[in-house]
Amino acid sequence: MFEPKSAPLTRRSFIESLGGVGGTALVMAGMSALGFGIESAAGATPPSLMGGSKGKKIVILGSGMAGLSSAYELTKVGYEVTVLEARQRVGGRSYTARRGTQLTELGGEPQTCQFDEGYYINPGPWRIPYHHRAYLHYAKKFGMAVELFNNDNDHSYTLFDKGKGPLAGRPVRRQEIAADTRGYAAEMLAKQVRQGALDAEFTPGDKELFLAYLKSEGYLTKNDFKYIGTDGRGYDIEPGAGLNPGPGKESTPHKLTDILQSNTWATLKSVSDWDMQKTMFEPVGGMEQLPKAFVRNLPPIIKMGHVVQKISQSPSGVEVAFIDADGKAGTIAADYCICTIPLSVLRGIDMQVSDAFKAAIKVPAYAPVGKIGIQMKRRFWEDDHHIYGGHVYLDNPDIITISLPSTGWLGPKGVVLGYYQFGSNAAKVSALSLEERMKFAVAAGQKVFPQYAESAETAFSIAWHRVPYNMGGWVNWDEEGRKTAYPILTEPDGRIYLAGEHLSYITGWQEGALESSWQQITKLHARVQASA
Amino acid sequence: MSPRARLIAATALGFALASSGAALADPSGQELFQQNCSACHQVTGKGIPGAFPALDGDPFVVQPDPAIVAYTVLHGRGGMPTFAPELTDEQISTILTYVRSAWSNKAGPVTAALVKSQRTSGAPPKPHIPEQAH
Repeated sequence: MFEPKSAPLTRRSFIESLGGVGGTALVMAGMSALGFGIESAAGATPPSLMGGSKGKKIVILGSGMAGLSSAYELTKVGYEVTVLEARQRVGGRSYTARRGTQLTELGGEPQTCQFDEGYYINPGPWRIPYHHRAYLHYAKKFGMAVELFNNDNDHSYTLFDKGKGPLAGRPVRRQEIAADTRGYAAEMLAKQVRQGALDAEFTPGDKELFLAYLKSEGYLTKNDFKYIGTDGRGYDIEPGAGLNPGPGKESTPHKLTDILQSNTWATLKSVSDWDMQKTMFEPVGGMEQLPKAFVRNLPPIIKMGHVVQKISQSPSGVEVAFIDADGKAGTIAADYCICTIPLSVLRGIDMQVSDAFKAAIKVPAYAPVGKIGIQMKRRFWEDDHHIYGGHVYLDNPDIITISLPSTGWLGPKGVVLGYYQFGSNAAKVSALSLEERMKFAVAAGQKVFPQYAESAETAFSIAWHRVPYNMGGWVNWDEEGRKTAYPILTEPDGRIYLAGEHLSYITGWQEGALESSWQQITKLHARVQASA
Repeated sequence: MSPRARLIAATALGFALASSGAALADPSGQELFQQNCSACHQVTGKGIPGAFPALDGDPFVVQPDPAIVAYTVLHGRGGMPTFAPELTDEQISTILTYVRSAWSNKAGPVTAALVKSQRTSGAPPKPHIPEQAH
């Protein structure tokens, strides 16, 4: 029971008292209500759809994350759901390329993945931030195993071609760049502070604390605040046993000018972006695992190979015309439609909606995006370079990132992400033949790792802007589109509701698709409850 | 590090290279088109129906005043990305001159000066959203 305490009722004591009544959940809700900002707007659990389905039929277009979560939640509360999927697989962009995976880009050559059994690349989404709670909710609910995705590796390299000086055009360990840049910056700032140049910035007592921070931040010497290197930047000879190597040999910092001229400092930030912070996850066995888990937990309601031709509606229902896997035309009728087709594709489909809705669908751009997975016959990045997962950063905008796998540690082979480029660079690289793409990626990797070319066995590449039924990596809303078109599309047009990453501010992430679907089915269900 | 910052840095540096690289190599309009445009619009200029617009015989491409065509290449539209950071005014003029006279097209050339005017003036270009890794 709630018992008034003798102390005045502060926010804290009120919240603590809630714990006695309703447990942790009520404490969390109370903290959130009082503005402690504990949870995001969407929360971590799907909407609870109370009151029954009233026998309504829903047709869902697309079996990516938005379509699957809509189907799962609506089926659970009794709606009669049918999902139309254009491909012969579920998941949309959330998928895994492994031995036998086939892809023919628009205007492209047929491609069949030739990786050895058990090896794969996630060509679409590949990492899950810790705050993507809708995704993690389903992973936990379905018992889908995850493993850590290493998104930040101190011992990895930068390779900046376009800078100047001795550090340009060669791989440099990221720990060296970080230690030296920040060490010198802290030293210079400490010098100014100690000379009294910044006294006006400090309230009494803070100057000494700030100097203590700088010393800690930059590994400065105890008495004279100099940066002379630190063990975190690595050793010339690593410490070991006995007298040889014994204490090893410490490394020598680069010159400040060499770092500045190399541009490698551009890889440093005080903190990772919100979307990129530790901890990140990936599903064990590839990104396709969550779509597959949804399917295992659904009745057989997904019709594969059904390509939507037309979406019509009347005051009493919707009708979707399709061509099925055998090439036969057909239609399906329902009370409502949840359409998760990317806008880049939807704008080419005949759709009975208002002119304003139709115009809004055409507004946002979609991102050209390219990736390539290269199977390496040996994990040279681990064996020879002691790099376990993480990314190599390049200033070549046609490559940008070479990423080392966070799975199959210490195993015989591995699949490396050879490039991850965007926009006009993705358009350019995607004009290469499949063979040329691999050659191009391997030549870039060879500049980082001498073992790259000799280890490369086979590749699987994707240019998302050329993939049928996707036509782009993700939506790219600009400010104007967010103001004009976006609000129109977040509301239903008649009986048609759109859902997907494109209707969120978490664009390009599975989380955006999931939270969008939760929002739209909540609206739809409320409407069904309100109807006679 | 932050991928966003990395991309901004990479794009800025890429621009510098493209600018200086143009004087060294001098690829033809056809070569530049094949490198940068053909993945979507196809080497035939016929595009892919329902996905990528044809440039061959397209009234938009061959209109008498090509300013809006240059603007589109610079700033992107729909599924088409901006090429402003990657291609110089000279390269875009070379490409557009080729596109406007290739296949069945018979429209006049596009100058680098016109491309430049579209890069910097006219209706304020929409703020470019830097591409961001996911």
